[in-house]
Amino acid sequence: MLVSVAELNSKAIRFKKFEALLEQPIVDMDQLKKLSWMGVPEEIRHTVWKLLMGYLPTNSTLREKILAQKRGEYDDYVQQQFSDEGKAGLDQALVHQIHIDILRTNSNIPLYQSTVIQESLERILYIWAIRHPASGYVQGINDLATPFYQVFLQSCVSDDVERTDVSLISKETLNQVEADTYWCLTRLLDGIQDNYTHAQPGIQRQIVRMKELINRIDGQLYAHFQKEGVEFIQFAFRWMNCLLMRELPLKSTIRMWDSYQAEGIEALSEFHLYVCAAFLVKWSAELKKMEFQDIIQFLQAAPTASWGDRDIELLLSEAFMWKALFGSSPQHLKNNNPNQ
Amino acid sequence: MSKDDEYDYLFKVVLIGDSGVGKSNLLSRFTRNEFNLDSKSTIGVEFATRTIQVDGKTIKAQIWDTAGQERYRAITSAYYRGAVGALLVYDIAKVSSYENVNRWLKELRDHADSNIQIMLVGNKSDLKHLRAVSTEEAKNFAAENGLTFIETSALDSSNVEPAFQKILTEIYRVVSNNALKAGESAGAPKVNAGTTITLNNAVDTSKKPSGGCC
Repeated sequence: MLVSVAELNSKAIRFKKFEALLEQPIVDMDQLKKLSWMGVPEEIRHTVWKLLMGYLPTNSTLREKILAQKRGEYDDYVQQQFSDEGKAGLDQALVHQIHIDILRTNSNIPLYQSTVIQESLERILYIWAIRHPASGYVQGINDLATPFYQVFLQSCVSDDVERTDVSLISKETLNQVEADTYWCLTRLLDGIQDNYTHAQPGIQRQIVRMKELINRIDGQLYAHFQKEGVEFIQFAFRWMNCLLMRELPLKSTIRMWDSYQAEGIEALSEFHLYVCAAFLVKWSAELKKMEFQDIIQFLQAAPTASWGDRDIELLLSEAFMWKALFGSSPQHLKNNNPNQ
Repeated sequence: MSKDDEYDYLFKVVLIGDSGVGKSNLLSRFTRNEFNLDSKSTIGVEFATRTIQVDGKTIKAQIWDTAGQERYRAITSAYYRGAVGALLVYDIAKVSSYENVNRWLKELRDHADSNIQIMLVGNKSDLKHLRAVSTEEAKNFAAENGLTFIETSALDSSNVEPAFQKILTEIYRVVSNNALKAGESAGAPKVNAGTTITLNNAVDTSKKPSGGCC
């Protein structure tokens, strides 16, 4: 792809701004968020994400200590569960469920075919599950672990991590990536845990709100869905459950998560709602010509395979606009008639 | 977009069973003749259709494929309503998926229409050397519980076509019988596109022609 000089310059300037921020003894998080919203350069994404997730402290003098402590803590969990004595006590049904899901996670990307990587992801999910019994492991959480894993591992290799030779990476490095992924995944899921508890109330609520939002943004599409008998839960359930990861290439998700984290991890599901609305409205013209079954099948496999950062950025700015328009006045979205 | 709405009957069928038994691949084999060893886990519910001929009638199957994990039960069971058929799938190489068949039957009793046609499907019959559930045992269990039974392999496609043909034919028989009993005036199936059939009342005229049936 051709990249213009102006573009390269603006990239270099942005990179410098990030560097300047990260060099401060105490990182200005407001500035970092502002800058990250527009995308984080790959070279420093691992550090920026750890800061945005609240995993690394803003105070640079504390970072090494905290990181060592957290990694040690995770190592202890692994020892408890996966040492020779610990293994006998593993919940076999849970082990099996996670195992069959990891085997089919990102199967189009070579990195995830590596047994070492698969076992590492399985440990993360298992430990998270047993430490969060209210929800436990729910299918789809496997997807959510991979952006962190990929970004953190990318910082340890010189080539494209998706096709890197895993055997060249040291055990110690992999352990660190695993621990960092665990903690960031935990932070992420803390904010959306009721998406995964019994009957998945968080998702149900989001879907009701999305329906109301679409009614306001695109009344014609809403009416067309009503006419065709399309229920939002039939397509949007997965959008909420996997944060659109099943709809987008992994690299697009990673770019999207720059902005999600910049919005604030507490506000993630709120912003995600608007992104889902923008994602649906994007296909409005096509969808309005379709009948029930074509609508469902189209939305089950939305044509995003060739999407790049620009498509994601367009989606994000639309979501931002809807949020500015409707988010500040939540009354607009209040559900007056629950049966509507 | 295709407009293949020229059909006599629209039947809603659900695919249920434990996680990893091959439900999604059975569906993709039947509707698109595709098999993918690494297909992603199903989240919630997915949907596909195919049209077949039975007794000179065009039957459109609207098939809802469900997530197997227990957590999704609350979401997926909502899709049983209005289904006239269910394929209850287990993996012949995984005993626990067969042992759970009783739990799935209870799910259907609790949430589906009482007349739903159920077919027990032992999938992955290509894994001969790993077989853990005998054909005889499953056949007997099916007979005792009034289920039809078949073994399939979505991978080598054996029996996939017959499995769907068989259950759709059975549904058709029940529906046409009901219609006969109910008499013409009570709304026997008419040859018009988009008629959604439920077993409780042979023709559900409340549904609009082009809409979904749930």
